[in-house]
Amino acid sequence: MVPLSHYLLIGAALFSIGIVGLFLNRKNVITILMCIELILLAVNINFVAFSHFLNDLGGQIFVFFVLTIAASEVAVGLAILMAFYRLRRSINVEDLNTLQG
Amino acid sequence: MSKISFPYPFPEHLSIIVPEMFIAVMAMTVLLWSLFLPKEKNYIAAWMAASACAAAIPLLLSQAGAIGLTTFYGFFILDAFAVYAKLILLLTSIFAIVMSIDFMKKEANAGEYYAMILFAVLGMMFMISAANLVMMYLSMELMALSVYVLVAYQREVVRSSEAALKYFILGSLASGIMLYGMSFLYGVTGQFDFQAIGIALQGVGHNGHLAVMVGMLFVIVGLAFKLSAAPFHMWTPDAYEGAPTPVTAFMSVAPKIAAFALFIRFLVEALPAVQHEYIPILTGLALLTMAVGNIAAIAQRNIKRMLAYSTIGHVGFALLGLIAANADGYAGVLTYLTIYLFMNMGIFAIIILMRGKDGFKGELIDDYAGMSQKRPIYALAMALLLLSLAGIPFLGGFWAKYAVFIAAIEAGHVVLALIALLFSVVGAFYYLRIIKYIYFDQPRGEFEISDNSTMQVIVTVCTIMVVVLGLFPGPLMELCHQALIGLV
Repeated sequence: MVPLSHYLLIGAALFSIGIVGLFLNRKNVITILMCIELILLAVNINFVAFSHFLNDLGGQIFVFFVLTIAASEVAVGLAILMAFYRLRRSINVEDLNTLQG
Repeated sequence: MSKISFPYPFPEHLSIIVPEMFIAVMAMTVLLWSLFLPKEKNYIAAWMAASACAAAIPLLLSQAGAIGLTTFYGFFILDAFAVYAKLILLLTSIFAIVMSIDFMKKEANAGEYYAMILFAVLGMMFMISAANLVMMYLSMELMALSVYVLVAYQREVVRSSEAALKYFILGSLASGIMLYGMSFLYGVTGQFDFQAIGIALQGVGHNGHLAVMVGMLFVIVGLAFKLSAAPFHMWTPDAYEGAPTPVTAFMSVAPKIAAFALFIRFLVEALPAVQHEYIPILTGLALLTMAVGNIAAIAQRNIKRMLAYSTIGHVGFALLGLIAANADGYAGVLTYLTIYLFMNMGIFAIIILMRGKDGFKGELIDDYAGMSQKRPIYALAMALLLLSLAGIPFLGGFWAKYAVFIAAIEAGHVVLALIALLFSVVGAFYYLRIIKYIYFDQPRGEFEISDNSTMQVIVTVCTIMVVVLGLFPGPLMELCHQALIGLV
């Protein structure tokens, strides 16, 4: 049987990839949205793993809430990105520069 | 969790959730009904939204007999603390909605805007009453998603979309980090309920210590982001500058009230066992927040950006109340938020009034030069509000700071309180600089203040409240102490 720590390591790895990707990425905003998804999925792995090893359904139920919110978050994010694209004709991270400070 | 049987029993004490239900129904009603409103009757949607918030206040007070009850299997709690926090939240929302009327007059689909404000209010009311990690996450997202949309509301303005995009990216990152922390708190304790987590954490041995620390730290980071505490404040100046001004007013006060309330409840109920570990973290946050807020504000030319840093600074001061970690400290935070509400709403009402025909006037500090010669009454109101923000004695802002500083000193954080005092002096500089512009500089062009009576009422009410609370702070402080009975 796979021990809990292996799941947590995978979760931590995905979480770190998401965070690093978010900050290293200088190209486009879609990649950022993907990194955010990756972070949320890492969290889900953690919850499911804990839920299984604690013998408690709560964690798995929470995962459904997280998935739902993740979907609506991306919907709002893409809508804002569309509005931005219509005005700037670009989704480059470097073009997010009208507001300085 | 495991005790719940299926099919679920009907939740008990459902009546304590009535104000939230009412706001939810009204949000959807505004959304639907506004489809049939012609553009020039936008204001009807606004008054519907404002009266929904106003009507929620008596509904809330009518639940006063139900203090201490929970519903939805302990997810939702109503105590005196929640009632008070929701009262000031609803008051803020009424101000923000009424301020939007003139601003949104020419916009199409204004109904969506007011519905979004109501959904954000709903999310914040749930945040205040959340007693469970699931509820905490869902309500924070309901608030955040609505506010992202509100920031992006002016679709034809690049700054608005860009601000929303930045806010969205950093906000989603923060909620991801918070969730990761929650997963560890759940993993260690097997619980979602705040109180159950609090009890379980007391029995965690050496093995679980690291996981508890990671969980606590990450959840605090998520909450600090919502509070715009440094170093998680990067989104604040951009979002405040880019957002439509009434939205800036709304998001500079309302989410702070909700996030502080949630933060207090989380610290008191879920984390008492690790108090010695979280106080140094909060101290670091508070120091950095006060420094960033008060020093960076000096360099700003845009008044909305300056007020963003001012908000950051005030959050830093209010964090002292959480560091004190006793009833006095939490009551100080409530006092702070109440007085801050009137100061900020008054200032933003004047900024919206300054918006002339071109739409962007009144955003630069230079625009206020010589205001006292053209509009002496507004100049006086603005000067009083700014002096109060600076914490000059015998205006409201002084007592706000006094309450948290004294609480911090009595809890033994003397050095921290002295540093806060120092930063408050630094902060006074940039508020006084605007007063200098208003009173001692020559006007640089025409003042076309778009007078309207509702805005005048808001400015008057806010200024009078700041002065009255400055002269008689006793009842408010007493009320805030009363609100904490049952929590601490």
